[in-house]
Amino acid sequence: MSAFWYYVFTLVFFLFDYFILAMGLNIQYGETGILNFAYIAFVAIGAYVTGAASLPNAAGTGQQYIMGWGLPFPFNLLLGGLVASAVAVLVAFIVLRRLRTDYLAMVLVSLSLVLYDVINNYVPLFNGADGLYNVPQPMAGIFHLTTNSFIPFFAVVTGLIALLMWFFMSRIMKSPLGRTFRAIRDDDGVAGALGKNPFGYKLTSMIIGAFYAGVGGGLIIQFGGSFNPTAWLPGETFVVFAVIIVGGVGNNVGMLVGALVVETLLIHLPAFLPEIPGHPGLIEYIDTMVVGALLMVMLWFRPQGVVPERVRKSAGMLADRARGRGRELTTATEGQGKSGE
Amino acid sequence: MSDNVTPTTGAPAYALQCQDLKKAFQGVLAVAGATFDVPQGQITALIGPNGAGKTTIVNLLSGMMQSDSGRMQLVGTDVTNWPSHKIARRGLMRSFQLSRELGGLTVLENLLVAPKHQAGESLFNIFFRPLAVRREERENVERALETLKTYGLYDLRDNRARELSGGQKKLLEIARAVMAQPRVLLLDEPMAGVNPALIDRIGGYILDLKASGVTVLMVEHNLNVVEKICDHVIVLAEGRTLATGKLSDLRANQDVVQAYLGEVINASTHG
Repeated sequence: MSAFWYYVFTLVFFLFDYFILAMGLNIQYGETGILNFAYIAFVAIGAYVTGAASLPNAAGTGQQYIMGWGLPFPFNLLLGGLVASAVAVLVAFIVLRRLRTDYLAMVLVSLSLVLYDVINNYVPLFNGADGLYNVPQPMAGIFHLTTNSFIPFFAVVTGLIALLMWFFMSRIMKSPLGRTFRAIRDDDGVAGALGKNPFGYKLTSMIIGAFYAGVGGGLIIQFGGSFNPTAWLPGETFVVFAVIIVGGVGNNVGMLVGALVVETLLIHLPAFLPEIPGHPGLIEYIDTMVVGALLMVMLWFRPQGVVPERVRKSAGMLADRARGRGRELTTATEGQGKSGE
Repeated sequence: MSDNVTPTTGAPAYALQCQDLKKAFQGVLAVAGATFDVPQGQITALIGPNGAGKTTIVNLLSGMMQSDSGRMQLVGTDVTNWPSHKIARRGLMRSFQLSRELGGLTVLENLLVAPKHQAGESLFNIFFRPLAVRREERENVERALETLKTYGLYDLRDNRARELSGGQKKLLEIARAVMAQPRVLLLDEPMAGVNPALIDRIGGYILDLKASGVTVLMVEHNLNVVEKICDHVIVLAEGRTLATGKLSDLRANQDVVQAYLGEVINASTHG
């Protein structure tokens, strides 16, 4: 495979992976109003757990880590998502019962920093600052994949997973549950006065979002084969925020657009550009500045993002009702047919 | 305090009962031992001068604030310091002094949030019982559209709630509360900042609610409205219950005239 296609499929992978990550943060922040500044920590938990679960026993690998079960893909990925969700439950009980808005955000940033320091310094957990490496490429043995063919293969697998997760997320967002999330985002006091338990729904939203974060993180370690603390500096959370703000908070299509513009075109595409002679690393810094500037421009001139949150029109609901009625009629007719038999 | 109340067999005579409620904010007593009963199936007005603690009492009754002491009963159940969502599930709904619409949701969606225990609010049901969710949603949409027609908001159903005018937001709050099929409805100044024609309409809606068996407790400064639609009045002053009864009787009560009614009558005469 030529270097060009290697770059293209790497970009495709990051597009889909950040689409998943953006959907997870969107359900928490865009739909439920939880300012989760610790989001990247859930991505990291997913990555570490997915990696450590798929690695063999640590003895003799030159690394230190927990688990080491040699769990195959996608079970390790699923475990990564579930553990991130379990941690989200813990975090939600600590912070969501009493805190809101900026206070909540500050405590979450702090929690993210604490977790970062623990994982960075406590080597037996996930190999400390060196992180996990030599993580086996998923399904490489089954499909006889080489290093070159693995890149497009896994980009496509990630695309399929993203599609599946988009389907699930759309179902949630269009459901009464999604509507209640948005009610809590708009005014959790009013939602409470209408009989909705704000904490319960925020907890549900945290669990779903953390699962998406965990899966997104798991895919990163499976794609690159390694993951260490430099990959999830607490500031990385703001890249995911940039994705959803630029794309359009509250809209899944916006998440895809945001992932394309911010993560793919601004963060990863320039990484493949040749260095500016005499200024190593300058492109990376310019990148960060461009993302920051874009964020400011969007918040100033188009806070609703490129693809704004959709208004759920009654005509659409009536059409859903008609479709639902049609399907129910079909089911009823089939039932009658069967009983007639 | 039990004037004009005829208990029906088996049902509590009072929808709400408050006993010695107290609430202080940084040492200042906003509610200083309020005690009153709200008769079942009637419209009760909660009146008093500014700072009497009316809105604080509504917040305490609806669970949006915790009392420092005292007891509250909702249709015979002790709900003292229950969280607001639990009280709401017991059938107590409220509106707000300054309208608090769910601004990012459409007018229709504001109503659709209200029904309790919706099947579609469970992740399990969304993926494993989609037909039940869709059926219930269809019923809710139909009921919400009917309610919007009743309250004259049908044409605005697809507008975001934040785009409504002040009066329309007041109507939306009442419609949203009605959608939850309340047993008790607390209305915090439903006529505030509303034009006279709309005042009459809102008054009519409140009477309709009474006719359908809903108990209404409303904070109101407009004594004409209180006179027209309220069966029972509770007067608060300095966080305490000053008097209760019919407005016509209270007009003869010197304490009430001194604390509130005189002030209101003077204001309307000079205004």
